Amino acid sequence: MLTAAIIAAVIFFVPPVKGLGDLAKIIFFHVPTAWVAVLAFFVSAFFAAKFLRTGEFSFDELSARSARLGFIFVLMATASGAIFSKLTWGAYWNWDPRQTTIFVLILIYGAYLTLRAAVTDEKARAKVSAVYSLLSVLTVPFLVFILPRMFFSLHPAPVINSAGKLEMDTEILTALIAAAVDATMIFYQLMKKRR
Amino acid sequence: MKLSNFRFEQAAAIFRKDFLLGLRRRAAFAAMLMFSLTATANLSLSIGGAIFDENLLAALLWVVIFFAASAGISGTFETEAAAGTLATLKLYAEPQAILFGKMFFTLASLAALTVFLLPIFLILFDCTVAQIWLLLAVIFFGIIGLAAAGTLIAALTTSASVKGGLFPILLFPITLPIFLPAIQLTAAAISGADFETELLMTMAIFDAILITAASILFDYLD
Repeated sequence: MLTAAIIAAVIFFVPPVKGLGDLAKIIFFHVPTAWVAVLAFFVSAFFAAKFLRTGEFSFDELSARSARLGFIFVLMATASGAIFSKLTWGAYWNWDPRQTTIFVLILIYGAYLTLRAAVTDEKARAKVSAVYSLLSVLTVPFLVFILPRMFFSLHPAPVINSAGKLEMDTEILTALIAAAVDATMIFYQLMKKRR
Repeated sequence: MKLSNFRFEQAAAIFRKDFLLGLRRRAAFAAMLMFSLTATANLSLSIGGAIFDENLLAALLWVVIFFAASAGISGTFETEAAAGTLATLKLYAEPQAILFGKMFFTLASLAALTVFLLPIFLILFDCTVAQIWLLLAVIFFGIIGLAAAGTLIAALTTSASVKGGLFPILLFPITLPIFLPAIQLTAAAISGADFETELLMTMAIFDAILITAASILFDYLD
């Protein structure tokens, strides 16, 4: 865990030196956290399905832990994203499709954790939250399909950073992938640690 | 979904039971209707005759439907849970029959809600609808989705200790893929603009997925 954190620090702080501007540093934090937030969501649903199949409470525990970690990561991704958005696009928030998706993810995580907190009986809580976790996974592909339509129609001109994504230096790309891998490792370690 | 176990008579019996109980105890139903009336009047009064464009009207309509539905259907399993008869009901009927009986009853309640709400809403906001069939189709697909997701989530929240507010929190993210196209299509229905049939299709497909998912997942809740 500690070593992972140190490696993370190295990876996080090396690339900006050769990066674009100072602002671009944020993406090395933002993209990996967002990636883990989404990953944790599916991991949580995966263990929820495993729990429903087997009835093993350890799977429920893993599903819950993944959701808790995911919630923390999604908050970090959103906060860093909002700052980046303010600095580059001029506003903290403008409901572009990605922002909407991540916000829905916050809502789902929040709803899931509220549900867990509200059910006291251990067995009922495990079942109920596993069912909710699986139900909420279904919405994601639909939102990915619907949201760009919704929000393009409100803003006829594409205001999103489609142009900014065209090219990426291999160095930055490597660093970004490394950061994402590292964030995933941190997530994995945190999942394992409290087992 | 275990269709072999599914007995239509059982689902119909549960629908009938809830319907008769609903006639006797009108509180939940009346609360839902009154909620929608209050919310609409509240919005209309606070705005005081200002003219709205169709996007805003569509959004307001669906917000009112969403919260009125939340108020009305969150207690779908409440009567049985409070009386301790849910376990007995589960002995008598297949889970699938219980689910679908409840779902149809919820759908019927929501249909009644919109029949009540829609004219009032349109009158109070002085709104003419250019494509009434589109509006009805959107509402139809919208309330199917709300009923399917709402019934399962009502089953989830019966075991929760804190009930107030939990239901809409859980329902909203799940029904968002219905909610967003519904608003856009309703706006198109009001203004008479062209609309994307794909969005209507999306709503229908998502309804089907919600019903299937509710059916599969309900088996695990006992």
